[in-house]
Amino acid sequence: MSAAIEISGLRKSFTISLSGEGSIKTAALWWRKRHIERVEVLRGVSLTVPQGECLAVVGRNGAGKSTLLSILAKVYLPSEGNVAVHGRLAPLLELGAGFHPDLSGRENVMFNAMILGLSRAEALARTPAILEFSGIEKFADAPVRTYSSGMLARLGFSVAVHVDAEILVVDEVLAVGDAEFEAKCYARIEQFREEGGTILFVSHDLDAIEKVAGRCVWLKDGLVKADGDVPKVLDAYRGSF
Amino acid sequence: MKSPALPGLLENLRELWRFRELLWAMTERELRIRYKNSALGFIWSLLNPLVTILVMTMVFKVFLRNQSEGYSAHVLAAYLPYMFVNLSILDSAQSVLAAMPMVKKVYFPREVLPLASVLANFVHFLLAIGVFFAYLFVLWAVTGFGDSPFTWRVAFLPPLVLITLVFATGVSLIVSALNVFYEDVKYVVGVVLYIGFFLTPVMYFVENVWHGLPAAYRGIGFSLYHLNPLVSITTAFRRTLVKAGPVDVGGAEGKVPPIPFDWGYFAWAAVASMLILWLGLSLFNRMKWRFVERP
Repeated sequence: MSAAIEISGLRKSFTISLSGEGSIKTAALWWRKRHIERVEVLRGVSLTVPQGECLAVVGRNGAGKSTLLSILAKVYLPSEGNVAVHGRLAPLLELGAGFHPDLSGRENVMFNAMILGLSRAEALARTPAILEFSGIEKFADAPVRTYSSGMLARLGFSVAVHVDAEILVVDEVLAVGDAEFEAKCYARIEQFREEGGTILFVSHDLDAIEKVAGRCVWLKDGLVKADGDVPKVLDAYRGSF
Repeated sequence: MKSPALPGLLENLRELWRFRELLWAMTERELRIRYKNSALGFIWSLLNPLVTILVMTMVFKVFLRNQSEGYSAHVLAAYLPYMFVNLSILDSAQSVLAAMPMVKKVYFPREVLPLASVLANFVHFLLAIGVFFAYLFVLWAVTGFGDSPFTWRVAFLPPLVLITLVFATGVSLIVSALNVFYEDVKYVVGVVLYIGFFLTPVMYFVENVWHGLPAAYRGIGFSLYHLNPLVSITTAFRRTLVKAGPVDVGGAEGKVPPIPFDWGYFAWAAVASMLILWLGLSLFNRMKWRFVERP
């Protein structure tokens, strides 16, 4: 089995400004008092995710979980180290980030599918299936600003699982739909795994992790604290509270 | 282990080309959003220049008693490209910031954002030029007033439109990248564009500048004036679409014949536009990875 994701010696640091918003005023003041600091969020993470695995990442707030996922999604460049992603990766957008409120659900689905890497023709062909899965076909032509947050989450999830990604990156979003839709999501994820898809997800819902994950990584202060069997890692993680 | 190198300019352009369908889709989205909740839709884009030309014509022909021939047509021929550049820059200034929630989650070439704003305005610009062209033609064919716009000069329209696009894109890339970090930029740009409107021959002619300058500084002053690429670009649009006629420069000179089109200045405008585009692409490319990390 080949690796879907290979990470070695990954480090990421951010510059944070303690003096507030970026403005020319702030920049002009920097020469006097440097209100900027470097914060190292990831401090040397190495990780290999084989194809077809469902990996859960746990850790406290600020442990670097989301940063790790963002680097995989090519939103951030690593400060140091190597990241190799083999195959198409789709991040699951929370609450329809990238949906335009004035456009209809249908138009937004089209557009989001293209952002996630589908061609125009593919996006067009897949829109009916996406709308059907989301269960909001009835409102497909209403502007998205009239949608409830649950409807947005449904639509966002539906797009992400229909773009033929080989790797799905999920950052704490599964808990938004109702029970019925959640069951549908898990069923879909199961199907995705059976088809050989790789999943990387961050969650604070430890029960959900036990249900779906095949392996668990505990991130602590930007380092891998534990990596392996789900029950073992979760026990260690629970013990740290 | 050293930090990974940033991809070069050429590699970025290739990546952008790979995502061209997204760029078209984003352009289409901008166009849809713009008129989604308005009843008149695209007509607004035509109404705005028409009202402006009406007011300008009244001010200059009636209030100021300017006797230049074909004044309204000349103003419109310059106003359309100026407004295209103006709106492209203002729209794209906000483009990256407005899309931040998306930029923070998904990868796609960030250049798509300002480029879509420019292209959406470009579509309007082309339509407006088309309507203007049709108007000139119908006016000439039906009433015999003015001249037919179908002359050999029309051949210059495509490259001219392209140079305007290159200039607008270059400036937009610079402004949109800087505005992510310093939101003061968009206010500065607003002021510069307002002043730029007066320093570009839209409601007057280059002949007014030439004859208005004191004779001793005429050469140097006229050249300095042409440092602004939009001066040659707007003048070129006029000469392409409308027949140049005598210009009323006021004072003792009164009506003077038009100055022959200066290819030297035009070449400068073309080269400057390309330099600005290159600068814009490089700058945007260097800054785009830090958009999500702005302090």
